Amino acid sequence: MGIVKGDQMVLNIGPQHPSTHGVLRLKVMTDGEIVSDIEPIIGYLHRCFEKHCENSTYEQVIPFTDRCDYIASMNNNFGYVVAMEKLMEIKVPERVEYIRIIMAELNRIASHLLALGVYGLDVGAFTPFLYMFRDRERILDIFELTCGARLLYNYMWVGGVSHDLPVGFVETVYGFLDYFEPKLKEYNDILTYNKIFIERTADVGVLPPEVAISYGVSGPNLRGSGVKWDLRKDEPYSIYERFDFDIPVGEGTVGTTGDCWDRFYVRMLEMTESAKILRQALKDLPQEGDVHQAIPKKIRPPKGSIYQRTESPRGDLGYYIISDGSPQPYRLKMRSPAFTALSVLNEISRGWMLSDVIAILGSLDIVLGEIDR
Amino acid sequence: MTDNLEQLIKEAVEKALEGDMDAINNIEDRVTRSKAKAALVKAKREASKEKSASSNDENSDAATDSKKDKTSNEHIAEILYEQFSEDIDKELSSADHIQIQSKNWLAISTYLRDDPDCLFDSLQCITGVDLGEESDLEVRYNLHSMTHRHAVEIRISCPRNKAKVPSVESIWSIGDWFERETYDMYGIEFEGHKDLTRILLPEDWEGWPLRKDYEVQETYHGIVVPKVKEGWE
Repeated sequence: MGIVKGDQMVLNIGPQHPSTHGVLRLKVMTDGEIVSDIEPIIGYLHRCFEKHCENSTYEQVIPFTDRCDYIASMNNNFGYVVAMEKLMEIKVPERVEYIRIIMAELNRIASHLLALGVYGLDVGAFTPFLYMFRDRERILDIFELTCGARLLYNYMWVGGVSHDLPVGFVETVYGFLDYFEPKLKEYNDILTYNKIFIERTADVGVLPPEVAISYGVSGPNLRGSGVKWDLRKDEPYSIYERFDFDIPVGEGTVGTTGDCWDRFYVRMLEMTESAKILRQALKDLPQEGDVHQAIPKKIRPPKGSIYQRTESPRGDLGYYIISDGSPQPYRLKMRSPAFTALSVLNEISRGWMLSDVIAILGSLDIVLGEIDR
Repeated sequence: MTDNLEQLIKEAVEKALEGDMDAINNIEDRVTRSKAKAALVKAKREASKEKSASSNDENSDAATDSKKDKTSNEHIAEILYEQFSEDIDKELSSADHIQIQSKNWLAISTYLRDDPDCLFDSLQCITGVDLGEESDLEVRYNLHSMTHRHAVEIRISCPRNKAKVPSVESIWSIGDWFERETYDMYGIEFEGHKDLTRILLPEDWEGWPLRKDYEVQETYHGIVVPKVKEGWE
């Protein structure tokens, strides 16, 4: 790209803008059509999550975690309860473990469907969005069947889950999987290998692995850069070590490894892997077991602290919890994967055209609720 | 025709493995070029697998011996103690964290990232903690190594009225935003940070919200700020 030094201009994108995925403001320095610097300005959705936690009991924290990453609430619940159970040394029943895995993976598919569909919108493909939302709807129906909520579930509790599975749940999920798996080919035909889509995303916004690691980028964004790292495999929590699944990584199939297309395609492949895990979990799901059996009457963890991270659809979701022995957390910090992903935006979008910045931002799959907390 | 293409890809991959990437980049047909790239990735992966398998065999015995019965925190603490004996509070450290003085933190963090036994290339989390209204503030760093797959927690405490800690933004890029967030909530100054401003709260907000003695300002630009309620109502 040749260097043209014209007048620099500051351009504001957001806070109210459809392609900022929420209330995010980007202060973009442009030189003509070329972006020379981006300053993301965040905090418009700050709801004092951590301060609220210090004034709530441990049970009351769970609904707050729902509202952080509202696209993947199950996974946020999951991270928190895994951390709490490790801190309190609670062993949860087998059936609960399986139910949690099923919910987390269903939510991962739902979250990726939203991410991919909206990404199509960002780069100008309207139709795939409708296809993916149609299928995401089926997952939300399954959640509604289970716990009554479609978006913010408050489903996983410390030691158990709020409701046992409804009658006919297993058949419903099998039905969904039978419906969903052939649809992946449809998505690929309509979006992934679309020539215009490839032109917009291949070779754009390349994120080299060492930059990604230095910026703490994790999850599908890191795997898109070719780093095989997934907490479900590398630091297994819950019962993930029992399942057989692959970790897809970006290979630069249509461009350079770590470009927008790779980050997109890793999510597409991950949905297949989640479906694989779901089938195994449904097959082994124990029929017996009380889901409320291990829920403690009072949650008073012993004094101490813990840092536990789990793999949410957006990456490493960490909870740092400090307990002073009282029923309220002394300090609770959430390390959110979207926060770290957004911080790398400036690094990888300098020198690209303004319209490419939208493609790069969309490929990072950020959720502002989780960034601002 | 297909035989020709496969031959072409094979030759290009062999050249690329020897360091000549142009062989692949010069292929004109896009599909063939991407096929060649995929083949190259595959070849490289297989090569690295063999390499790591052979090196694992040699090192595994020695590694397990030295790490036996020790958490990675204790193991790293010993390594650090040899280098920076004055900066490490051995009494305050435990099996799950290492307590250090803030003075040489920049040198220690550089060592942690670059030493072949540590190689902590990823900064997972920075947590600010207020140890109580009368006591100090503390910053906790959770580090992780993608190479060795071990993790460590570093704690640095600093006095409440003069909270200053060296910045590690130059060591791990994500330190930039994590430190701004900690500054935003606790008012801990990270010395050497290039742009230490509030990140989540408005620039002109008063006070440090996550300190235990924080009192909410009454109005903000004429808007009444609701008080944090005591407990659940």
